[in-house]
Amino acid sequence: MQLGECWFDDARGELVNRASGDVWHLPRAELQVLRLLCAAAGKVVSKAELRQGDDEHQPLSDSSVARAVFMLRSFIGPGSELLIETVKGQGYMLRLSPQERRSNLHGPRRFGQRVSLVPVWLLSFAMLLAIAGGVYYAWRVAELAPSAPYRVDTLTQADGQMVRLVLYAHSRSNNTLLVEKAAMIGSVLAECRSSRWRDVYLSLSHDSRVLNLTLRGEYLGQAVVRNLKLSDGREPRDFISAEGLREVDICD
Amino acid sequence: MTKPWIWGVNLSILMVLLLALGTIYSLTRGAETTLLNCSSELYEPDDDGKARQYLLVDLVTKGKKAQIHYRYFNLDGSLAGSISMEGELTASPGSGNRYRIAIHNKEEKGGKNSAPRPMHMNYISYVSGLNLSSTGLHQLELEILELDKTRDYAIVLFQPSNTVCGCRLIH
Repeated sequence: MQLGECWFDDARGELVNRASGDVWHLPRAELQVLRLLCAAAGKVVSKAELRQGDDEHQPLSDSSVARAVFMLRSFIGPGSELLIETVKGQGYMLRLSPQERRSNLHGPRRFGQRVSLVPVWLLSFAMLLAIAGGVYYAWRVAELAPSAPYRVDTLTQADGQMVRLVLYAHSRSNNTLLVEKAAMIGSVLAECRSSRWRDVYLSLSHDSRVLNLTLRGEYLGQAVVRNLKLSDGREPRDFISAEGLREVDICD
Repeated sequence: MTKPWIWGVNLSILMVLLLALGTIYSLTRGAETTLLNCSSELYEPDDDGKARQYLLVDLVTKGKKAQIHYRYFNLDGSLAGSISMEGELTASPGSGNRYRIAIHNKEEKGGKNSAPRPMHMNYISYVSGLNLSSTGLHQLELEILELDKTRDYAIVLFQPSNTVCGCRLIH
């Protein structure tokens, strides 16, 4: 009988490893255990059955059976623990093929065996969810990322107060007009002896027809905001001059 | 019944529960009302440092419905024109602080005495009209760049016009 890479010669009581050529003349306990397992291949053989004696031999002890199984597995080599399977609380079973494992088990299946596939299923489901979540997150991260300003400058007013000048552009290129206007507004703001403004936002509409100026600051502990929308349909666009900015009391 | 079937039934019930929770969340969340109020001074060339008009922009969202009103006033308080837009909120701020609104119709009114409309109103009218006539929708995006909840104001970036504006928030 073929057992993995070994051949069991029942008549001679030998186990032959065909790969290495080793021949093992089986002692009584190993021979008895292997014979009984082979006779009931695919079925669970109880320890009591494996221990049984006959007219010539005394019954084996539990430790002898356990040792015999250990020795057999050692000789058969890798994979032997699957070939001679320990069925906890019941005995041992010789498994001829992997498919027989489930079909030849007698009696009600144990809880651990029955649910063994469920965690794999759940794990697969959880992995799918995780992958889907990861893809969605990667997609959303780019979408949710806050728009970055085109440029942020800091200027110092006459009274030493720092003012942030934040530029938002429609694209990263061709922003000459925006930068020119920012420089002009910055120079006028820098002339202010004092002002309530801490942040100044500047943006140019996508068609360059409207220059938006938002000033944000604090006055007596309250938030103050001033929005100016400067429209100009002429070419070249000027929107407002430095003198005009002073006229609109940009410092206040 | 075999074990996989039991798990299948369990997972189905779980999915139904999650779906119900999601629906309840979206319905309650969608019922939020937001009001954004932005006031601007309008300048045009040759204004000699004096504002020609004022603009009040109100954004109101209730559930999925959204309305944006642009109201232009002269210095004497008379109405110089208005544009009212209606649409749907296609995305409300999550962690990205962005509103997306699909405008599907608008109504424009001029001022009295057939006075010329503000240039800014012409600009808004032109851009929205272009999109509505070509695709039937004018897509707007509002991004909260900076938010001060204690003082109820926000710096908002409007797209596609690339307009930064300081606004009051009313929840």
